[in-house]
Amino acid sequence: MKRDLIVFAVIWVVVSAIAAAVTYYVLDPFPTAGAEEARIIDDAFMTLTYMAVPVFGLVVAGVAYSVIRFRSPGQPTEDGPPMFGRGAVPLAWLIVTSTLAVAVMIHPGLTGLFELRADRHADLEVNVTGFRWAWAIEYPESGVRVNSPVDEMVLPIDTRIQFNITAIEGDVLHAFWVPAFRVKMDAVPGQITEMFVTPNRLGDASDVAFRLQCTELCGLFHAGMSMDVRVVEQDEFERWLESQGATASKVK
Amino acid sequence: MRVLRIPLVLGLVLAVIGFGLGISITGLIRQSMDLSFWETELSWSTGYPLALIGWLLGVGGWKYWGREWFGAEPRPFTTTGWKRYFDFSPDHKVIGVQYIVTFAALFLISGLVAMLIRVELATDGMQLFNNDTYNRAMSLHGITMVAVAVAIIVGGFGNYVVPLMIGAADMAFPRLNALSYWLVPPVAVMLLISTFSPQLGGWDTGWTAYPPLSVLNDSGQVLFNLAVITFGVVSIVGGINFLVTIIYMRAEGMTWWRLPIFVWGVFAASLISFFFTQAFAASLLMVLLDRVADTSFFRASEGGSALLYEHFFWFYSHPAVYVMVLPGFGIALEVMTHFSRKPLFAYRWAVGGLLGIVALSGIVWAHHMFTSGMEDYLQAPFLIMTEMISIPTGIIFLAALGTIWAGKLWLRTPMLFALGFIFNFMIGGLTGIYLADIPTDLLLHDTYFIVAHFHYTIMGGEIFALFAGLYYWFPKITGRQFNETLGKTHFWLMFIGFQLTFIPMFQVGVKGMNRRVADYPAEFADLNMIISLGSAVLGISFFFFVVNMVMSWIRGERAEANPWQARTLEWELPSPPAEHNFPTPPVVVGHPYDYGVPGAKHVESAPAGAPAGGD
Repeated sequence: MKRDLIVFAVIWVVVSAIAAAVTYYVLDPFPTAGAEEARIIDDAFMTLTYMAVPVFGLVVAGVAYSVIRFRSPGQPTEDGPPMFGRGAVPLAWLIVTSTLAVAVMIHPGLTGLFELRADRHADLEVNVTGFRWAWAIEYPESGVRVNSPVDEMVLPIDTRIQFNITAIEGDVLHAFWVPAFRVKMDAVPGQITEMFVTPNRLGDASDVAFRLQCTELCGLFHAGMSMDVRVVEQDEFERWLESQGATASKVK
Repeated sequence: MRVLRIPLVLGLVLAVIGFGLGISITGLIRQSMDLSFWETELSWSTGYPLALIGWLLGVGGWKYWGREWFGAEPRPFTTTGWKRYFDFSPDHKVIGVQYIVTFAALFLISGLVAMLIRVELATDGMQLFNNDTYNRAMSLHGITMVAVAVAIIVGGFGNYVVPLMIGAADMAFPRLNALSYWLVPPVAVMLLISTFSPQLGGWDTGWTAYPPLSVLNDSGQVLFNLAVITFGVVSIVGGINFLVTIIYMRAEGMTWWRLPIFVWGVFAASLISFFFTQAFAASLLMVLLDRVADTSFFRASEGGSALLYEHFFWFYSHPAVYVMVLPGFGIALEVMTHFSRKPLFAYRWAVGGLLGIVALSGIVWAHHMFTSGMEDYLQAPFLIMTEMISIPTGIIFLAALGTIWAGKLWLRTPMLFALGFIFNFMIGGLTGIYLADIPTDLLLHDTYFIVAHFHYTIMGGEIFALFAGLYYWFPKITGRQFNETLGKTHFWLMFIGFQLTFIPMFQVGVKGMNRRVADYPAEFADLNMIISLGSAVLGISFFFFVVNMVMSWIRGERAEANPWQARTLEWELPSPPAEHNFPTPPVVVGHPYDYGVPGAKHVESAPAGAPAGGD
């Protein structure tokens, strides 16, 4: 019995080490990281993955070792040892799992949440309105307004942007998501929701992560309700606004 | 009119009459106000309830029950043989089989829809569907699988096995039990009518039916709401019946701490059905009223709130996942104990785990709403509560691992499925943590990561446990033994196909593919092809399952009373058990899981010599 536990422990360590190595060297799950927020969220993801590895290893090793070592060739003719698990083992298990649960709750859960929510100031406000099945993007300070699918949503790099998101009253729920920025937020009719993003990487729609995609089922053309996103240098953004302003005034 | 003596026929006829009566009442009132006689959504909403009543009366509710409300003697239940499966039968074993077969059929139909979805998504661009038909197919797959997951274990094995396990002659309310089963066929019919009717236009809101979309879309939504409200009634009525049965109908000596763990699982699930389903039915009723009575619960333009629905809906629909999975825990632990020939490790802790999950299940719902725009101050509390649920769930893993450790593992098909359950549910549980922690959820919400996560918990967890139970109790229910080779083939194909399908889904979700889409950017095509090929393996596995079940039921080897040498009460009876279960009430004298304890007995007077009943 003691020998079994030792062999099991060795297998557990080996399985966990392999899983950790795969996580470190092979796993690259993320889309292009295009914003400050992406760093926080990707770090949280990897932290959780490293914490999950030994738990995964424990269960895999436990099941695999039991199946190999304790397998009965045919119908068992006798019973196994009566282990009831009444004493210290479940108590220790409870303490360990509770500790782990509280740990992931605090970090990266609450710490990440507060880091994402701490800074409520913005250098640029962008109003986003969803409707079936397109996006209207408005830059209120310069009066520029663009629409999908014809236009791109252009954003300046290294600028803290506050998105004020809504859907037309009488329309349905939509959700605003640019995978490169990681965070997403629903567009709710009759309500304005806020989301803060600081883009820190130039990019455009040649990268699938730079697309504004509706992620709340909104009916017929939900799948196609997307808009190209382009993150540009700040002076280029100014020039772009001017060019858009010019077209806007012509229309008037 | 002999044909009217057939319950199904009479039920259909009375349903049609009821429907006509319902639409006539509203139609005539409308005509008196110079409106058209027929108004699709309103007419269905008034025709359907009366049709439902007609159906229930015709299918047996009048003959066996309603007569006594008017002073007449109800007809005795006489049907025997295969016909009783198509009749209003109060026998919990018949009802159990009715549930299992109905929902297994629904599972296979819905699985075929999933196969079509995977053909569509195998590569980018449109293959099989257009946007409209894709959304309908996806929604149909969603709600039918949710219905299967909610009802098949509780309704099927809960009905068949729980009264046997606790030593009862039947459920506490046998006729109510039959009534709740016969509410199921209308649900399935309504969902299918809605999907395939060009006039009604189907419904495209997924199984969640979020307004305002569900208030604004085609009229098929009305049939969805009516059907799912009916299904809520099934769940509530079933929950009450199980609670009363388990509290009051236990045999002498069957104390709470001697209850088999599966009974505890059904008890825990029934608590949730009983306490929470009303919120779900109410939210769907409010959507219905917004459509047909012009209320404005969810219409922002008239002062309503879409978020109101999400709170209402998830208040039930998160606990609902535990209605699905807690009885699954019960089956898996049950099977592991008997096939390891060891006491269930940390039994009392495991019971505490089940009840702890019930307690926490009601205060975690808003973790589905971290990106919904709900009040900011709700975020942290729901993160904390949701992470707490991993603590009682962890105890279930301790019980599983502790039970198989050092046991005498007999790796028959039920045991393989139970072990597959541990592996899958662990992945489902661990990936759930990413969704409870808000920073990662902001990325993963509404992506394929979530699709993979809930398939790991519900399909990898509950449905694997379901198959463990199906193979485990097959000899008891049918009196015949299944084919072991086909069973093992089913397991390995299903297990491998399942991993191939859902592991890449985690990846494609994190990479940026959102869910519920008929098409996606070409960058995700390679992973989706792997997923679709994996799902083909998964789909093929059920072929072996169906062949095995059908062939073995017809001409499998005769099963003995207790082929697994298990210790719980149902194995004391012949296979299949006689109509009123126990010839003399059993007296329970010990724990069901005292394997390896010299001289330990579960039941005093083993009535195994009783004459076999059934057919």
